[in-house]
Amino acid sequence: MPSSDSEDFESADEGHTVEKKERKKRSSSSNYSDNALENDPGFKEATSSSSANKPAEISKETDGWDDWDIDDNETLNPEIVLRTSLPKPTETSGPLKKEEDKKDTDWDDFDAWGQEIEHPNAQPSKADPQIKEVTNKMAATSTGGWGWGWSVDSILSTATAGISTITSQVSQGISTVLETGIGAPDPEELARKTSKDIESRKPLSDDSDNVEKKEKLTTQDNDHGGSTSDGAFPFGSLLSGVTKFVETTGTKVIAGGLDTLETIGKKTMEVLQDGDPGLAKKRAMLGLDPGDKPVLSQVLREAKAKAEEEDRVREEKREAKEVHYENLFDDFEGLVHLEALEMLSRQVSMRIEERMRGLEPDKRQDLKETLQQVAELCEMPEEEDDAEETPDGMSKADALHEKLQIATQDLGLKLQFQPIVKQYTEILNWLSTEDPTRTDKGVYKRGVSALAQATSLCVEIYHKAGEMLLVKARRSTADEADSMTQMTVVLTKHISELATLFTEKLNTVASENMNQVNNYITNIFLEAGNSSTYIQNAFQLTLPILQIGAV
Amino acid sequence: MVDPIFDYQFRLILIGDSTVGKSSLLKYFTDGKFAELSDPTVGVDFFARIIEVQDGTRIKLQLWDTAGQERFRSITKSYYRNSVGALLVYDVCNRSSFEHIPLWMMEAKRHIEPHRPVFALVGCKIDLVGSDNKNGARREVSCEEARMFAEENGLHHVETSAKTGLNVEQAFVLVAQEVYNRIQTGEYKVEDGWDGIKTGFNRPNGMDFNLLEAETVQSTCC
Repeated sequence: MPSSDSEDFESADEGHTVEKKERKKRSSSSNYSDNALENDPGFKEATSSSSANKPAEISKETDGWDDWDIDDNETLNPEIVLRTSLPKPTETSGPLKKEEDKKDTDWDDFDAWGQEIEHPNAQPSKADPQIKEVTNKMAATSTGGWGWGWSVDSILSTATAGISTITSQVSQGISTVLETGIGAPDPEELARKTSKDIESRKPLSDDSDNVEKKEKLTTQDNDHGGSTSDGAFPFGSLLSGVTKFVETTGTKVIAGGLDTLETIGKKTMEVLQDGDPGLAKKRAMLGLDPGDKPVLSQVLREAKAKAEEEDRVREEKREAKEVHYENLFDDFEGLVHLEALEMLSRQVSMRIEERMRGLEPDKRQDLKETLQQVAELCEMPEEEDDAEETPDGMSKADALHEKLQIATQDLGLKLQFQPIVKQYTEILNWLSTEDPTRTDKGVYKRGVSALAQATSLCVEIYHKAGEMLLVKARRSTADEADSMTQMTVVLTKHISELATLFTEKLNTVASENMNQVNNYITNIFLEAGNSSTYIQNAFQLTLPILQIGAV
Repeated sequence: MVDPIFDYQFRLILIGDSTVGKSSLLKYFTDGKFAELSDPTVGVDFFARIIEVQDGTRIKLQLWDTAGQERFRSITKSYYRNSVGALLVYDVCNRSSFEHIPLWMMEAKRHIEPHRPVFALVGCKIDLVGSDNKNGARREVSCEEARMFAEENGLHHVETSAKTGLNVEQAFVLVAQEVYNRIQTGEYKVEDGWDGIKTGFNRPNGMDFNLLEAETVQSTCC
């Protein structure tokens, strides 16, 4: 499919369009699809080697990830950078294996790990609230940065199981890290992997089963008492320090063999037992920290359950949405007319300001006064309480039409009032038809919809008036302002008339639940207030358009 | 009225000379109807319809039908900004409407900046081009030259009839699909203060979407 972005467009060379397109396609797929990237070993190698030489660039490239994996970004590890961007690790498990051998060269940045432990709080900044929620929960339980929290309990079992089992544990830890530890992007994927991980780890040792049980207990603790996270905090950093050490060193094991393995064992125990002989304290602490894993999966499960619940509720509320005023207002194109009017208004305001800046101070004062005068002309008159009678032999809808035309006769524009008059006619017909099956809810729904539609039509009138005023050949600002003000009065009254009609109707509909009917009536009046606000806003947005005719 | 359940809303704008058939195209697309006579558009009018792209994602197309008349030009240009796609509409029986297309395209590019919209070149009134030429109209823009222009500029091209409905749907689906593809690749994303693309409230959370976004910011490195 040919791309139409202008880069392509500008560089398009008639003679070589096909070739260019091919290239464009390819480069864009390697830009965006990481699978393609994985499947292209030459490309991958080029990327990793070049980026290894230029660590600064890597962090730039991965800026987009700061919401999720700020830690990972700072590792300056190109392999990880590549891995983080994989949307579905399962698809690329083949290439991943191949990568492992290469990895050890890049895993030497031990210092970098140590530093980044200090930034666990620099986590999500602009993330979606839901993500934030999840990550915050994560942060509360694991301060070590969440991408690495995953492997914590593998390491944990390593620690508790002792040196005898460390070999298998460490490699287990490594594969855990490789598979799940590196900021896998899809939370569901993660959740699945997590549970898989739990399963796969079960047969490893009875010790880890015990730990699991402990974890579950502490999960509940974490859920009920927020204070536990305080206890976890200092240890969290320490633990992840250890974790990362083991992981980092662990990768060397694969390449380096038993010597390194021994070092790991010693070093691990050294670190763990530092100031804590017999690991008593740490065991106690670990009891808290491995809570991480169940907590995360639980959080994700909860998030999923919540989403499902939301779906269900939404399905139930779908009908309720039908009486949602703002939605209806949007559906009737009211919102977009208001938005377009706003665009016009803003642009005209800018033009006025520009003109003002270019003037001498005394002339500027004159201009300000003129603008002020127009604004005053557009002030809504005090509510007149004249009981308006519909002339004999004229329908209410026709009366509305006539009032609108009288109000706007000096405007000098041919505004279309038919839509609003037609809608009014339909409403009046509907209200005057007796229908025994009609319920209070039915009347209410129709009422809200009618208000939203009438308001949309009103806003459209302002929008069209604004557009036509701007292309009007000869402006007569005073008349225009006066007409628009009168029109606003008529339209506002029309809205409250609609509200009255529907509430009267509601009062006549038989209902077992008078409370509900009263609620409906209140809501109708509320939405009518809403409508008036929209109309007033639209009128205010027209003001600069009126003003510019006078300057 | 539009069923409110959708995943994304794309704002598309239709531009082109007066009387080429922008409003008729939209009327057919949203209403399935064709009116022999219609009033010239004042400023801008709005249409909306929900379609589905290939993977079933529901897209609400909010369509801005601009006035082609010269006198509204100063107004319509203020409406370009928030569009993610632009349909460049010409009349296959009106040579000059096609010759103005580059100007319309430049205008759109200029006002939509810094965003880069998906463009489609849409020829209208293909039903008038028949072997019998009853209406006295004859084709003034060949399909080949339009296609060539489209290829040179990386546009989709389609010839339509709002009377028979030929390719009308396709014209909009092409653009919507392309916009959607660009969202998938991360070239486009939902931005505050820009209404070209919005998420619908069908989406329970922005989670997967945000991830897509985040992951693709690094895009242009290679």
